[in-house]
Amino acid sequence: MLDIDSSRLVSEENMWLKLEDSRAALMGVYGLTKAALNDHNAHWLYGEVRSGDFSIPIRQDLKAISSHNLSPSYGVMEDLKSWRRFYAVINAANIFIERVPEVLANDKRYTDNNMVVDVAQARFLRAFAYFYMVRIWGDVPLITSSQEGKFTDAPREDQFKVLAWVQQELEAAAADLPYRYSVNDPQQIGNYYNEAPSRWDGALARKLTAYALLAHVAAWQSNYPDAATYSKFVVDNYGKAGMGLIPSETLSAANGFFYDKNSNQLLGFGHVYNHVEGSFTGHIEELTLATPVVDKTIPDMFLPKDKILQYFNEANDQRFSADTLGNPTSENYFRNFNGRYPIFSKIKCILGGVTNPTFRLFSSATVFTRLEDIYLLRAESLAVLGETNGAIDLLNTLRERRGLAKYAFEKNGELVDAIFHERNRELMGEGHRWYDLIRYSRLKNDNSPINQMIRANAIYWPIAKDVLAQNSKLTQNEYWK
Amino acid sequence: MSVKWKFKSLMILTLLSAQMADADELNEFFVDKQDTSQTDTVPELRAVYRFDQANNKVGSIKNISLITAHSLPQLIKGELPGVYVSESNGEPGTSQQMFVRGLNKPIFTNRDIYSTQPLIVLDGVPQIGEHPFSFDIQNYDVERIGPENNLLTTFDIDNIESIVVHKDLATLAKYGPIGVNGVIEITSKKSLGPDKKRISVNSYGGFSARPAVTTINGSYENAFRKQFYDLFTTNGRYNEDDVYPIYLSDSLNNNYFGPSNWSDSYYHNGYNYGANATVAGGGNRSNFQFNLGTIQNGGTAEDTEFDKLNARFYLNLRPFNWLVFETLVNVNRLNRDRNKNLRNRYAMMGYFPDLGAPISPNKEVYDKYLDEFDKSFDNNFNNLLGGFFGLQFNVDRLRFKTKFGIDYNEGYRDLFYPSTILESNNFASNYYGYNQRILIDNTLVYDFQNDANYFYFEAGNSFTWDVFKYNYAYAFKGVNDYIKINLLGGDQNSSVFPKQLIYKFLDRTRHNMISVYGKGSYTYDNTYTASLMLRYDGSSNAQPTARWFFSPTLSLGWNAKNSLMADNEQISQLNFRASVGRLGIYNMYDNYSQGPSYTAQIGYTGNMIVPSYNAFAALVRPYEVGWVGYDIPWSYMDEVNIGMDLGLQQNKLQFSLDAYVRDTKDQLVMLPGKRDFGYKYQYESGLDVRNMGVDLGISGDIINKSQLSWNSGIILGFNTNKILALPNGLDEVAVDNRLLKVGERVDAFWLLENQGIYLTDNDVPQQSGQLLTYRAIDLKAGDPIWKDQNGDFNIDDEDRIVKGNIIPKVSGSWNNSLRYNNFDLNLNFYFNLGRSIMNQEMSNRFNFIENENAREIDAIKEITYWEKRGDYSKYPLYNPWSSVSPYQVNQSLFLENGSFVKLRTVSLGYNMKDVLSSKYSKKMDLYVYLSANNLLTLSPYSGRDPELVNYLGYDLGYSLPLPKTFALGFKLNL
Repeated sequence: MLDIDSSRLVSEENMWLKLEDSRAALMGVYGLTKAALNDHNAHWLYGEVRSGDFSIPIRQDLKAISSHNLSPSYGVMEDLKSWRRFYAVINAANIFIERVPEVLANDKRYTDNNMVVDVAQARFLRAFAYFYMVRIWGDVPLITSSQEGKFTDAPREDQFKVLAWVQQELEAAAADLPYRYSVNDPQQIGNYYNEAPSRWDGALARKLTAYALLAHVAAWQSNYPDAATYSKFVVDNYGKAGMGLIPSETLSAANGFFYDKNSNQLLGFGHVYNHVEGSFTGHIEELTLATPVVDKTIPDMFLPKDKILQYFNEANDQRFSADTLGNPTSENYFRNFNGRYPIFSKIKCILGGVTNPTFRLFSSATVFTRLEDIYLLRAESLAVLGETNGAIDLLNTLRERRGLAKYAFEKNGELVDAIFHERNRELMGEGHRWYDLIRYSRLKNDNSPINQMIRANAIYWPIAKDVLAQNSKLTQNEYWK
Repeated sequence: MSVKWKFKSLMILTLLSAQMADADELNEFFVDKQDTSQTDTVPELRAVYRFDQANNKVGSIKNISLITAHSLPQLIKGELPGVYVSESNGEPGTSQQMFVRGLNKPIFTNRDIYSTQPLIVLDGVPQIGEHPFSFDIQNYDVERIGPENNLLTTFDIDNIESIVVHKDLATLAKYGPIGVNGVIEITSKKSLGPDKKRISVNSYGGFSARPAVTTINGSYENAFRKQFYDLFTTNGRYNEDDVYPIYLSDSLNNNYFGPSNWSDSYYHNGYNYGANATVAGGGNRSNFQFNLGTIQNGGTAEDTEFDKLNARFYLNLRPFNWLVFETLVNVNRLNRDRNKNLRNRYAMMGYFPDLGAPISPNKEVYDKYLDEFDKSFDNNFNNLLGGFFGLQFNVDRLRFKTKFGIDYNEGYRDLFYPSTILESNNFASNYYGYNQRILIDNTLVYDFQNDANYFYFEAGNSFTWDVFKYNYAYAFKGVNDYIKINLLGGDQNSSVFPKQLIYKFLDRTRHNMISVYGKGSYTYDNTYTASLMLRYDGSSNAQPTARWFFSPTLSLGWNAKNSLMADNEQISQLNFRASVGRLGIYNMYDNYSQGPSYTAQIGYTGNMIVPSYNAFAALVRPYEVGWVGYDIPWSYMDEVNIGMDLGLQQNKLQFSLDAYVRDTKDQLVMLPGKRDFGYKYQYESGLDVRNMGVDLGISGDIINKSQLSWNSGIILGFNTNKILALPNGLDEVAVDNRLLKVGERVDAFWLLENQGIYLTDNDVPQQSGQLLTYRAIDLKAGDPIWKDQNGDFNIDDEDRIVKGNIIPKVSGSWNNSLRYNNFDLNLNFYFNLGRSIMNQEMSNRFNFIENENAREIDAIKEITYWEKRGDYSKYPLYNPWSSVSPYQVNQSLFLENGSFVKLRTVSLGYNMKDVLSSKYSKKMDLYVYLSANNLLTLSPYSGRDPELVNYLGYDLGYSLPLPKTFALGFKLNL
């Protein structure tokens, strides 16, 4: 009478017994990663708002972020300063890696191969979380075991050591991951967890996902030779992964690239509408869309007209271009261009991929990287390494797909500038801008405000006070002391 | 001899159950006092020592019935020393909180309240309340999903014989861990009464008066904001991006700048009535009683209303001298028309529409909005069924009683909002949930007397099975506003609502408990009593390694009057008592019993309900709820209580006092989790909190003549608490917005201390070239002067001080009954002293820059935004754009003294007995009365009403006002 198995949770003794347990635990790590990126729309606040490109009409917290004033604690500031959600990903992955062999022992349906692929994904997600954190906070504690019940305090580890470990982990994961799931890839035989490929396409980390992230990790450290190598692997092999470059219409259609999940989301975390995963928050749409795209008077953030014209300064750009009178000829990226608030509407997956303005429930995936990103990252690497022709070829491949003429120095300026300019236009609103600006500034190494911030370590966020309070070995980032 | 003995025992027990809890009580079935079939004369009753204080029960049920309230907490507010009732909302049928002898744990969220509430025992059946587990699927901690009706309304006060509170272990311990927060026993009338009246009819009718408020419009708000723009901006814009709200920009817009007469549609009089009737019958060997009752209570805003229907049947049979059978069935229906608050609605939906403009204060516009509610429904009701049946066998001096009890309540809320009130999206939700308690109690009693020695032995065990369950679903964007279906039904709903927008939840939790106890007591010469109780309790929510908890209680009593001054005529009563003991505290949540576990919670702020990834259920550690480890012991309460009762001049003046020290130990408390391992919180045991206090009751007849009498009584509860220890030997720990610190109160606020305003930049102190900062932000002109408590030249959490308290240090009432011939006049004053309130409503007002358009649940502007509240002149004009959040709520600027005295009830009655009995029947007894409630409040608090404060001690301004009510009624006995 006193021994009741709770129907609300799974106790330790009932876990790690079945194939379903390992699946649930692995999906949990994915779900926690998605939560870390989506909480308060963090991915876009870190990656887009911080860059200062967007104007903020009302929200005090966003205003503070966009002006690099990260001290205030109002609004979402304290939550954004906390790395807790990323460490939840890491803890869940650590537990998974430590405990999943129990499933192998307990359930005959669970195969060695299944476990190898599962563990590779857990290692990937753990490495991803560390990479993401290093970009936000710099040095972070490197915790690679669950330490359940003990939870030892660890000091912050030098970020280059963390990234070296991340690189090593990602390489190990890349070796074990398949190109695709449930398509009899030599590294993943049969239907993964008895589900067809359509169930997994775009939802999970794959071999190319690991290489794409490796390229980002290397580029972030200005290790362009490695970035070139890793990105080459992606560019050479995407055919095996059922991927391709996406046309302009697909990019910004309400039911296009960002909608649902698909193989082209090289690393994406879906809000699959038909799985009842649409949500009000956790999407850039919540920040950027307003009237006339949705019924909201003032957007939380918008790109002012002068910046739009500055960025989209070439004719026939299918994403956005304006004629000499200032009237838009293509509105894929911006609506209400001549209004008080131009609406950045590249990503606008409303409900089931429709244009209904009345209900702000969104279904876009949180996409960390896609093939175009890796093309441009490779172009950037080659340009830095002096392989100009290779870089121009990659850049032109993308420019042509967006309706632009081939790259020309006279018109488009320095190759590196042109590549970063293209990154800005192509990846706008996908959470890259702030990190691109830092990489760009590092390459320029001039006395720009961002380079001053890099030298003062002001590009990192302060650590939340509740995080500092729970671990005596932590110290606040010097700049924010 | 044996016959006489048996009868004597029965008589003793009868007396006890009908009156007071006693050391020797066996929560006895009622046996008709008039049953003299076994003997010719009623033997004199022996006085047995009472462990409980004389004033632990409501003095006059009749007087409190004149309050015309509908819930137990309302009725007993201020009437029982040591019981503090917080009535934080004037909306009829909503819940109130009760705290017996203070608060022994910190309150962080709504769910913490549930485990602080006393146990209500209705006719021997411990009532099951709601369980807070549904908060797990709610994005906002505003109110629990479901009907949320006040379940402590399931009786008619006119049927109540007594309401008794058990506060100290001498009388509390028999209920075991479920009663550790105090027990309020409600015993209904079972007797036909001394004069065998068989029919009783009571009724009242009246109204709740529309509150008088001052309304404001856009020009008032504009003028208020203009002060800040004048002070801190040069051209009306603080910076380039600054946007002035559109609704305040156009002074020709009649919707916002025209007449502000919304209150004519929002506020109104509410109509109240109550009626109940009782029929009783039977004789010496059997009797029955049947009651029917109804109450309607109308609110004073938004057509809120609460209705209840109550039916009760009681049967008592004594087929043989050795066998008593008793059964009771209590059936209730509660129905509530709820408020239309935007905040509650948005919190429930988890969706914030465009908050660019509040509802217009203009009646015409507001009426159009209200008209849309005609297309909506919100059916909100509970069905409750409770009762027991039991048998008692008497074999000489041995008595055995067995009882089967059930308390079941189910709640429904079926709701539909038309598309016209939410940006053309309709919303439907359905809730069904039940709470069920089944219990079996067995008790064996043996007693005997040997000359002056009286021995009493009792042993018992009980089994309790609790189940809590709900099914909940909601959906958006139905095909139109006409087809409405129940989402909890089958699959047919996907044609009405898109299946991608239907969210379904079900949850269920159980708790079982086994208790065994033994008790022995000894009384010498009716003067000295000692009693020892030992119990052993097992809970399914305790960890397997610590399932059982042993707890003893020792009680001593001394009738000093008997032993020292039996002949003293002045002193009619003098008792002393003491008790010391321990009682275990069970956990409400079953996750503590499992140790580390896995849950499906992978949601995030604003979208907490995500259970899966890629439509596969996820299982992860409970990072949001918090880490729970192994080796969690039972927490327990240790209490020492000493008390005395003094009666003078045949008890014309009575005085009763109890003093206690209550230590609640090894409590599981939510602490900040290890962020580096993903945990938001962790649960650690080791919180020790001490409550100390004095409960005092004095009552006396100031005048007592045959024509004129004046009885006056004062009830006082003093209580204070402090934290004795924190887990892991911590000295202090910050959790959310509170600081738990050893030696400080557990319900204190944690605040920055205001010392004025920096008028110029030069006023900001400097130290070696560095300006004083707030969290590394340089302070400037227009920022508050916050005291740098630790002198480190930076204002942060280290400079917040622990101050104030939620639970009042003194609460009580002063009651007066005046009688002149057949007239009587009652005056009841209720007061709370030594208590503080955070006036968050004013903080929100002044923080308009951060709150404008903010999707914050506590910044939603209701229609009552257009009501003038608070005292604006109390606050300095800080720079509202400043990064230091000058108007953040947690500063001493918004801490106010929340003490108050209220003239709670005035009633004037006339007893028509004399008039009627001469004309009609001698049996007839008719009392008519006029009563008025909540007439006057005296308080230094600048907000609306010092009672309208939420569970965290904050006044957000969202609750409906406590109305003044007036009623005319009668009580008739035939």
